[in-house]
Amino acid sequence: MNSAASNPGPGARRLILAGLGLVFGGGLGYAVGRLIKSGVLSADGLGWSDIAAAAIAVCLLAMGVVIGAASFSRVAAGRMIDARSGRPATPAQQSFYRQQAIVLALAGIMMAAPVATVAVFGKVPEPLGSIVMLGVIAVFLVQTAFNLTVWRRGDEMMRQVISETGAVCFWILQGLLFLWAAAEKLGLAPALSAWDIMTILMGVYLVISSLMSIRRGLA
Amino acid sequence: MKNRLKVLRAERDWSQADLADRLEVSRQTINAIETGKYDPSLPLAFKIGRLFGLPIETIFDDAAA
Repeated sequence: MNSAASNPGPGARRLILAGLGLVFGGGLGYAVGRLIKSGVLSADGLGWSDIAAAAIAVCLLAMGVVIGAASFSRVAAGRMIDARSGRPATPAQQSFYRQQAIVLALAGIMMAAPVATVAVFGKVPEPLGSIVMLGVIAVFLVQTAFNLTVWRRGDEMMRQVISETGAVCFWILQGLLFLWAAAEKLGLAPALSAWDIMTILMGVYLVISSLMSIRRGLA
Repeated sequence: MKNRLKVLRAERDWSQADLADRLEVSRQTINAIETGKYDPSLPLAFKIGRLFGLPIETIFDDAAA
């Protein structure tokens, strides 16, 4: 049996990943539910954007963990590049995937930290808030450094995908933001917080970057 | 934009990874160019032309022109 015959196609692979996502998400949802029931976590002080941000953070962390784990195997990393060829990844490609995994995981940690702090402590005391904020800034700086490294190591198509994603997101979000701001000014829509806007931005960015990657055959 | 990259690569018995190494791009980029999902930049197109020893217009075909 050759490698092409033993490897599932892109559709089957996406179905398998979706199934794994359902199992993982279901398990995590159950665990969070148990923690809320036991009083460790509280959803009282959390709004829709906190729940959405937590979901996005979990997605980012899960992607980081999966890609990071796969990057340690030449065969698994090779399948992420091209599932049909069965050719193992080079050490440089493995390290590139590892860096991307770190970027994703750190983004997840940054998004989860403020929500998790509020969920655990309710009204966050100022000293604790300052400590968490310092941690977020430190993670942000490290993540930015890795992000720049990924940009520099990427080839022209990857850079184009990143640039196009940024351009499309800006075009969509600036329009939406303007319309919402106008409606808010006229008293027709409720005010959004910075956290609400950031969550929407991240959600839109993830969807658009996935679509752009699929369009170029990267996913 | 159509191109003859896959044919030229096959004539030399190169894999996508071989060509990617020679052009210093990723395997996904070669695959995307061959399948028409990505049009290379002008510098990369010239690099491809130099690698195969052919003018760009004999490798890439802009059907609309």
